[in-house]
Amino acid sequence: MNPFEHLRIAFDALLANKIRAFLTMLGVIIGVASVIMLVAIGEGAQTYIRKELMGIGTNLLIIVPGKTETTGMGRMPSGIQKITIADLRALEKRATLLNGLSAVVVSNAPVKYQNRLRNVQIIGTDQNFEQVRNLHAEIGSFISKADVDAQRRVAVIGRTVRKELFGEANPLGRTVKIGETKFRVIGIMESKGVTLGMDIDDHVFIPVETAQEIFDQDGLTNILTQAINENTIERAKDQIKAIMMQRHAGEEDFTIISQQAMLSTMQTILTTFTYVLGGIASISLLVGGIGIMNIMLVSVRERTREIGLRKAIGASQRDILLQFVIESVTLSVIGGIIGILFGAGVAYGAKAAFPVLPVDVSAWSVALAFTFAFFVGAFFGIYPAMKAARLNPIEALRYE
Amino acid sequence: MSDAPLIQLDDVTKVFVTGAIRYEVLKDISIEVRRGEYIALIGASGSGKSTLLNILGCLDVPTSGHYRLEGEEISAKSDTEMAHIRNRFFGFVFQSFNLLGRYTVAENVALPMVYHGLGRRERLDKAKALLTRVGLGEFTGHYPSELSGGMQQRVAIARALANNPAVLFADEPTGNLDSKTGTEIISLFEQLNAEGTTLVVVTHDARVAQHARRVLTLADGRMLTDKQNSIAELTGA
Ligand SMILES: Nc1ncnc2c1ncn2[C@@H]1O[C@H](COP(=O)(O)OP(=O)(O)O)[C@@H](O)[C@H]1O
Ligand SMILES: [Mg+2]
Repeated sequence: MNPFEHLRIAFDALLANKIRAFLTMLGVIIGVASVIMLVAIGEGAQTYIRKELMGIGTNLLIIVPGKTETTGMGRMPSGIQKITIADLRALEKRATLLNGLSAVVVSNAPVKYQNRLRNVQIIGTDQNFEQVRNLHAEIGSFISKADVDAQRRVAVIGRTVRKELFGEANPLGRTVKIGETKFRVIGIMESKGVTLGMDIDDHVFIPVETAQEIFDQDGLTNILTQAINENTIERAKDQIKAIMMQRHAGEEDFTIISQQAMLSTMQTILTTFTYVLGGIASISLLVGGIGIMNIMLVSVRERTREIGLRKAIGASQRDILLQFVIESVTLSVIGGIIGILFGAGVAYGAKAAFPVLPVDVSAWSVALAFTFAFFVGAFFGIYPAMKAARLNPIEALRYE
Repeated sequence: MSDAPLIQLDDVTKVFVTGAIRYEVLKDISIEVRRGEYIALIGASGSGKSTLLNILGCLDVPTSGHYRLEGEEISAKSDTEMAHIRNRFFGFVFQSFNLLGRYTVAENVALPMVYHGLGRRERLDKAKALLTRVGLGEFTGHYPSELSGGMQQRVAIARALANNPAVLFADEPTGNLDSKTGTEIISLFEQLNAEGTTLVVVTHDARVAQHARRVLTLADGRMLTDKQNSIAELTGA
C-alpha cells in the first residue's frame, strides 16, 4: 500500500476529531516551543557574551599578580611580588610581540561634586588604555602621557557618573573631589553600558601614578596588553612570562589571562547552559509524547470495530500498525511545526522587546526539535499501534 | 486446477479455550464451495455458523483439518498473505453494517480498494458503479448516518463487492432489518448470484434458505445436512 494512503487515513481520522487532535498536539507544541525558545535564549546569551568579550579588545592579555591558575597541586608561591610600573617598562622595552601596554590600578572611592556624592570604581591608568581596552573618550580627551608623568589631578568620567553628579550641566573643566583630592574633569567616556555585569559607564579614570599616590599603592592591579595578532597570543604569553619571571626572581607569581581563554571558558559554560535548558525543555516534549500515547490508546479502543472491519476487508497487521503510527507521528510533527513557529515567534518577540539580548533561533535547534518531535510521535505511537495491529478481527468486530 | 473447488474444508475442527474450559465449536466439518454457488448456512443459535463462516472467509483459522483455496493449503500463510486473500478473494457483509461514519458512502465502498492499491480517482469511480449496481447511485456523497438501515446494508454489500471477490460471505445480513427491507436484500443477493457471484449466507431467515441453491444445516458444531434445493423447487418458487 502506498504510504500516502496511510497519511490520508491518518488525516481523515484526526480531522474527524479536531479538538482532541489539537489538545493532544498541545503537549508537543509546548515542548517544542520551549526547546526553541530556551535554546534561542541560551544561544542569544552566548552571542551576547562573545560580543562583549570581543568588545574588551581583541587579543587582549591581562597580567594579574598571584598564581591563580595552578596546574595540579603545584608549589605555593613563596612570596608574591607585586606587579609594578617597572615590570610594565621592562615589558615595553623587551617584549616584541605586544601591541601596547597599559597599567591599571583599581580602587573604590566616593566622588563628590558640589553636594552630590557617588561611590564609584576609580581606574588609574595611562594613555594606552584607550587603544588596548578599546574604550574611548567621547567628549574632551582621555588621560595623556603628560598627565601620567606629571601625576596630574585630572579625571575622565563615565556616562553614569556624569549623569548622577552633573545632571545636564557640562562637567568639562569642573572640579570633583575623589576622596579628599580635587580633580579636574577633562573628558567623558563613550557609553558602553553594562559589560559582563560591570557598568563601564559608572567609572572614573585618573592617571595611574596619581591613583597610586592617592590610594597609597605601589603595585598595579593589573597590566593590560595586546598580542599583535591572534596567532601570536601563545608566544606573546610565553614572552611575557619569561620577562616577568626574570624580574620576579624566577617565580611565576603572576597570571596571564587571555581574552581568548576567557572566551573559550565562557563558551564552554554557556554551551553547557544551552544544553541544560534544551534538555529541560525536552522533558516537556517527552510529556507531550506520553499525552499522544494516552490518546492513541483511547483511540485504538474506540476504533476497535473499525480495526476489525479494516482487517476483514484486507488490511494486514502491518497496514494497521502503519495507520496508527503515522497518525501519532502526524500529530507530533504538526505539533512540532506549530511549536517551532510559536517558539520562534516568542523568541523574536522577546528580541523586539529586549534588543540587548541577541536572541536567535538557530537552524540546529529547529532541526533537533523537529526530529525529536518526529521520534516522540513514532516512539509513543508504536505501542498503541501494535495493540491495534494485533487485535483479533472477529473479536474486534464484535466489540461494543 | 480450474476444476478444484474454490474452497475445500477437510475434517476441520475449531476449539476455543477459555480458562480451563474447552469449547469444541466445530467438529469434523468437510465441505466444498464451488464457483457460482449460493449457499445458505442455517442452524440454531450457538451451533457454530459464524465460526464456520469466519474460517471459510479466512478471518479465523481452524484448530485442525485442512483448508484449501483453489487447491492450495492456506494453513502456513502469513498474516500479510491472509490479509491479501481476504482483500482479493472475499467480501464480507455483517449483521451490523460496520460502515465508517467519517467517510462518505462512496469512500466506504472504496475502502477495500485502498488495500488493493487503487488510486483515489479510480476507487471512487468504481465505488459509484457499485453503488449504482445496488441501487444507491445517487447517494455517493452522503454519510452513512443519513441512510436507512436497508440502504446501509446495501452500501455494505457494495463494499463487499469492491474487489470483485470470488465469494461474498454474509453473516445474518437481514438480522437487523425489517422484513420488507430484508426482502430487498434477499432479492439483491439473488441478482448478484444470477450475475455470477458466489454467496455463502448465514441466516435464520427462512426466505434466504428457500432462495439458496444449497442449504447447509449445522447442529452443535456438526454438519447435519447438506441439501441441494432442486432446480424445480427454485424455478417453481
Ligand atoms: N472466541 C470465542 N471463545 C469462546 N467461545 C466462543 C468464541 N466464539 C464463539 N464461541 C462459542 O462458540 C459457539 C458457536 O458460536 P457461533 O459460531 O457464534 O454460533 P452461531 O453463529 O451459530 O450462533 C457458541 O457457543 C459461542 O459461545
Ligand atoms: Mg452467529
